[in-house]
Amino acid sequence: MLLHGQTRTVLDRFQAETSINLSSQLSLIKEQYTWNHLVSTGYGRQLAQKVLGGDVITEIKAYTTAAHHFHPAIDTVIDLGGQDTKALSINRTSGQLHKFEMNDKCSAGTGKFFEMMASSLGLSLDELVTEALRGSRSVEINSTCTVFAESEVITLLTSGVALADIARAIHEALLTKLVSLLSKVMRSDTAQILFVGGGAKNRAMVQLLTEALNRQVIVPEHPDFYGAYGAAIHAIQSTR
Amino acid sequence: MTPLFNDDFQELPLKRALAQVMAKREAGAKVVGAYCSYAPVEVVWAMGGVPAVLCAFSNAPIAKAEETLPVNLCPLIKSSFGFIELKTCPFFELTDAVVGETTCDGKKKMFELIQEHRPLYVMDLPQCPTNEGAVAYWRHSVNGFKKFLEGTFATTISDAALEESIRECNRKNRLVEQIFAFGACAPAVITWQELYAVATYAMSAHGPEAIAQLEEIIATLTARREQKLYTSPEGTKRVLITGCPVGGDVLKVLKLVDEEGAAIVGLDSCTGLKPYANVTEEGTGDPLLAIAKRYLQIPCACMTPNTGRFDVLKQQVESLKPDLVIDLVLQSCHTYNVEAVKVESYVREDLGTNYLKVVTDFSQQDLGQLKTRIAAALEMS
Repeated sequence: MLLHGQTRTVLDRFQAETSINLSSQLSLIKEQYTWNHLVSTGYGRQLAQKVLGGDVITEIKAYTTAAHHFHPAIDTVIDLGGQDTKALSINRTSGQLHKFEMNDKCSAGTGKFFEMMASSLGLSLDELVTEALRGSRSVEINSTCTVFAESEVITLLTSGVALADIARAIHEALLTKLVSLLSKVMRSDTAQILFVGGGAKNRAMVQLLTEALNRQVIVPEHPDFYGAYGAAIHAIQSTR
Repeated sequence: MTPLFNDDFQELPLKRALAQVMAKREAGAKVVGAYCSYAPVEVVWAMGGVPAVLCAFSNAPIAKAEETLPVNLCPLIKSSFGFIELKTCPFFELTDAVVGETTCDGKKKMFELIQEHRPLYVMDLPQCPTNEGAVAYWRHSVNGFKKFLEGTFATTISDAALEESIRECNRKNRLVEQIFAFGACAPAVITWQELYAVATYAMSAHGPEAIAQLEEIIATLTARREQKLYTSPEGTKRVLITGCPVGGDVLKVLKLVDEEGAAIVGLDSCTGLKPYANVTEEGTGDPLLAIAKRYLQIPCACMTPNTGRFDVLKQQVESLKPDLVIDLVLQSCHTYNVEAVKVESYVREDLGTNYLKVVTDFSQQDLGQLKTRIAAALEMS
């Protein structure tokens, strides 16, 4: 994400799938772009700093920064990423992070879960979401561990449960996890939740989360770039 | 910078402890293996024995342990058991007898599985320490342990020897406390590796030799403080580690704090200050009761209520002034895991200090997530 220092408008934005040679991918960025200040975030932040220089912040700080910048009235953020699910509580006045919760380890209850479940049903991610929106709440899947959930899914499939209902149950399983994380940070007067990360592009998840929380769920325009926005804003703020 | 120990075991605290135990064994001392800070080491020393800590923190023997034990069990228990099965724990191999305590269900039942290997005594630990009769009951356990040692090694442990041992341990423990108090220096003059080394050393050290070594360490630290020889620069964020015992592979959490540029200034656990805090009353005429009283004051999460933990946290936070308290919980340690609810609220609300709970095991599988969480908690502090 390339932000203009003064106007903070987006000059460029790009996304690439991580390969096994992340260093050479990062080197390409160096050849193609120029910048005054760089801040890296996310799981590859240290490697990016090594290759590209600049500073690093965690994605937790990056989300906090972006959330307070774009949505100053927000005090609760949920990030559904590929590796992690995080819930953040932000002080509305100061913009400081008050508290955060995230999964301890493994990809249980993260965006990875959808990918794995879609593939075990032989669906694309989009198809899984479409099915879930059609499905009704007839069955339950209790695990968000991809390995255990897969066996639950197979059991349901072999007992003749409709694909749409299974897709819905997969979403409900993850919903439980999101609501549990959120309940640890949400205040009683929280009116809106900001939903970010690649998982926020999942329409079924947004709908279910809105219903479950009985609160407004805001999804920004490019939820999967939200960490990059935060890092770029931090780069601008820290050079002032 | 002068190291705290002038020997061949720099950054190898367990090898140093092993050498200590071996030296004492060669001089004729019986080695009594212990699994917990509730083991009254005064009784072992009074017999002329030496205690050796058997709690293991290595991931390596866990696969072996899981052939017998359930997977979702505390890694400390699995690691300790796996080592015994593989016969690769040098400490266990040196033991002549083993003492266990009923601190937790997993350990308690694991002891039943190892009792064929060594003479074993399990001390029944009352877990409501302030209830009527708890101290008297625990005194029976301490006495039972004493009788077990006397019977196993055909010896007698006199009250005079116990009194002498209490005095020696008190003296040693006060010096360890003084060393840990250097954690309050800002900038820091002692690292967590050094705090851990001192705690490990003191467990198997006793008498004039131990006193001389610990006094020398205090002199070294005093010199560092006076000469402004800091172990981390001014303004470095400070961290207090509380919760379950740490060591070996779970030091990954402490190393991540280092990687993020912060300094750990306190270790408030059984592999830190906890076994050395509190004083055993001297010259009471009933040394076993004095020992029983002191050990029941250990603020382990297995106790309920465990108000002492909060008193210690308050004192530690006030003196060490950490920016962040990390509550390290070993997976499946239900007591520490549940107590964390109260600890979090106390640290955040009452002490006004940032708090991070980490539940982990001895594997490397959560390194990425841990790094992000620790870094984010330090960014906030």
